Amino acid sequence: MSSTRSGSGGRPTETGPGSDTGTGSRSGSSGPSFDPYETLPELVPLRSAARQGHWPAVQAYFTSLDSTEKVSYAVGLLAETADVERMLEKAVADRPADPLPRTLLADRYVRIGWGIRSDLRAKHVSQEQFDQFHDWLRRAEQILIDVCAEQPAYAPAWTVRLITARGLSLGQSEARRRYDRLTAHHPHHYPAQMQLLQQLCPKWGGSWDAAHGFAREAAAAAPDGSHAGALVALAHLEHWLELDGGEAGAYMRGLPVRDDLRFAAQVSVLHSDHRAGWYGIGAHSAFALAFSLGGHFEDALPHFTALGDRASDFPWSYLPNPKSAFVKYRKSALATL
Amino acid sequence: MTTRLHDTDSLDALKGLVSHTTVQGVPTLYAPQQGEITAGLVFRVGRADETLATAGITHLVEHLALHRLGLSDLHYNGATANAYTLFHATGSEAEVVAYLNAVCAALRDLPLDRLETEKEILRTEAAGRGGADSQLPLWRYGAQGYGLSSYNELGTWDLTADQVRAWAETRFTRDNAVLWITSDAVPEGLDITLPAGTRLPAPAASSALPVTPAYVHGDDGHVVFNAVVRRSTAASVFADVLGRALFQDLRQEGGYSYSAEADYSLRDAEFATLTAYADSLPKKQDAVVGGFVDTLARLRAGRIEQSELDAVRAKTLKIYDTPDLGAAALPSYALNLLLGHRLLSPDEHRAELMALTTADLREVAREAWADGLLQVPGHRGADWAGLTLAPQYSTSTLTGTRHQSLEDDRITLVIGSEGVSLQTPGGPVTVPYDACAAMTARPDGARTLTGLDGFAVTVEPTLYRGVTPERIAAIDAAVPQAAVVRMPERAPEQIPQPRERRASTARTGGRSRWGWTLALWVVGTIAAVWGLLSAVVTAEEAGAANPEWDAVVGIWVLELPLLFVTWKLYGARKRR
Repeated sequence: MSSTRSGSGGRPTETGPGSDTGTGSRSGSSGPSFDPYETLPELVPLRSAARQGHWPAVQAYFTSLDSTEKVSYAVGLLAETADVERMLEKAVADRPADPLPRTLLADRYVRIGWGIRSDLRAKHVSQEQFDQFHDWLRRAEQILIDVCAEQPAYAPAWTVRLITARGLSLGQSEARRRYDRLTAHHPHHYPAQMQLLQQLCPKWGGSWDAAHGFAREAAAAAPDGSHAGALVALAHLEHWLELDGGEAGAYMRGLPVRDDLRFAAQVSVLHSDHRAGWYGIGAHSAFALAFSLGGHFEDALPHFTALGDRASDFPWSYLPNPKSAFVKYRKSALATL
Repeated sequence: MTTRLHDTDSLDALKGLVSHTTVQGVPTLYAPQQGEITAGLVFRVGRADETLATAGITHLVEHLALHRLGLSDLHYNGATANAYTLFHATGSEAEVVAYLNAVCAALRDLPLDRLETEKEILRTEAAGRGGADSQLPLWRYGAQGYGLSSYNELGTWDLTADQVRAWAETRFTRDNAVLWITSDAVPEGLDITLPAGTRLPAPAASSALPVTPAYVHGDDGHVVFNAVVRRSTAASVFADVLGRALFQDLRQEGGYSYSAEADYSLRDAEFATLTAYADSLPKKQDAVVGGFVDTLARLRAGRIEQSELDAVRAKTLKIYDTPDLGAAALPSYALNLLLGHRLLSPDEHRAELMALTTADLREVAREAWADGLLQVPGHRGADWAGLTLAPQYSTSTLTGTRHQSLEDDRITLVIGSEGVSLQTPGGPVTVPYDACAAMTARPDGARTLTGLDGFAVTVEPTLYRGVTPERIAAIDAAVPQAAVVRMPERAPEQIPQPRERRASTARTGGRSRWGWTLALWVVGTIAAVWGLLSAVVTAEEAGAANPEWDAVVGIWVLELPLLFVTWKLYGARKRR
């Protein structure tokens, strides 16, 4: 398995559908692991079932999950599995009313499409790539229209529909409508919040005011200890990515950003009520990276401590060499002890 | 003669509610009502019976028939719909009798001296028309039949008195009419004598949509959906359920729209048109399209609350609370009798309403979606929702004389022996003469040909190269006379003149022309240097004792390809 966002040759900036479920095979003895099957071993049965093409086992795995957030995580992860669409197409044909196989298949189509599009900026993507990309996304979207019509409370489908809305350029207000439909049933669905944040960034037709505003609001509205605070860090990372070298560094070093990050970390992943969950690695990664880029290594330390030798592809993939950056920044953080 | 009336099985269903008889050959329904009397005389002819070239002829007859009534206090009017024309009035018995008698007298002998004035009035009326969904018929049906309601009434330009008279004589007949009166008896003194004719069924529907569900682009601020569904109690209830669902999803929950509503209106004996509409704030248009798609998907998925059905059913049943039920139902019974649709007694209708389930509504939702046509604001796509863009170009082009646009050299007008075609970068727009719905003709030579499929080509002699009077004459000779609409002369300033020419240079990126410029410079310089060298060598050899003329020729021969390439590059660069 390979990552859909291998960042060779510069910063891949038009983040694809992936959340922090990248599956890079970057295991090694010295550095951190970015492979979710290593960092979250309880996911291994899912991979085994998918590799065997054994739908009943896949389904049983999903049934065993105790949160909607985990279901969304596992959907995104399974969708990154090469050739998994064969099993999923059969599962959909066998159980046409079941939302799970349809959502998985739709998400898989999104990944296939995004793989063709690549994560490059739109001007570097050919018309033929765009056509194929849109074809796959339309197939996914049409499946999801039905799933959401039948099961309006099914968060994983709405979450993928935020990705199709973005890829198909359905507009800011439509993405927001989808998010609002979802929040009517699940007010703080972190995977969907990460997707909407992408849409709200200028690269997808939004604005920095909208992106930072949403991140702050979502963080403030969420219960203490939830992941939502990491949206604040992700918004700053997106902003940093857009700025030029010198400006980018100054932005992250600035005290307003640091204070923003500190507050967000306190109410989310550093709060006593925080429970790691599967998005915890990505959330700590966002803070660890954001603080490190600003040189606030003391602030980065608790996040590196929580991570240990685990990391998530996103947002580390925003750097040309995630692994060595992780090691370097962690060293600096530990040096503050 | 009035076969359908005497086939009274369906009228028997209304026994005790509505009485029926024949007045001077016109089938007549009546039922008592308190207070003033209302009467309606309805004919089975409307806009869908016309052609694009005669569009408005029914409306003209309606106006002429009402002209003599002038300014009376009586509450009366006329209405020209797609499949019928209605004259109606409310007043005392004597007033209503006088109205009906006057209308029929006028229909027998139209005041055609008024024709030109009424044509002008209709042209003025047309300027104020056009709702948010006014373009959908054109896309669905083309420039014919039920599609004509999207068009201006072209017939108001040059219909003749003979044409209008013939239309009245053949369509406004006693056999093509039904009369209804809210009275317990047919009033004394009625004289509604009309010529004999035949009952004309509503026109068959044409189709300009090869694939449904389809979508088209429309004005900002509006999302409209329509579909043709089989007429049924379920379908009419569904329209109400859809209207409520849109209101709830788009206004109450989302706040994207102010108005969100749906309507069900009959098209002919068998089918009805379901129309749904929502407006939108400029910044919420994408959400309105998305919400519209999702609401339709929800109903299609059968996620319809029993309470939604119950609410609509209760509202529908309320019509039966009215004291003069028979009288209230007369217009609808008369129309159905005229169209040849079954007449449903209140008991039957109630029973159908009570038997309705949400599953029945789901079936209508699916039928509607399968036939749907969605109008989205601006240039948004809707293919993501499984809709196909309605054809934007013709499927074929034609051969003939070619006339390049004087404004844009990518556009060429073709005038052929079988039709005219406009070749544009996006595709061809073609109107074959034998499928020409109408051609407007100006004395200055301008012609606009509209095909039955709705595609139109305008030939402006001032805007294309070489469109001579002979070429216009060739078009005139090929278009069927019945399709020609003569338009008045235009003021000179109204005749279009070419805008600044859109040359190719404006379109291609500077980068590609840069390349040609560079190549021209490089090759041109080599050619010049080699030419100079050749000249020097020639001069030297000429001065030499034993000139080596074969070497001189050899050098000059090499210059030739250089000059040729330079010339070609110059031309290529100029075309960029």
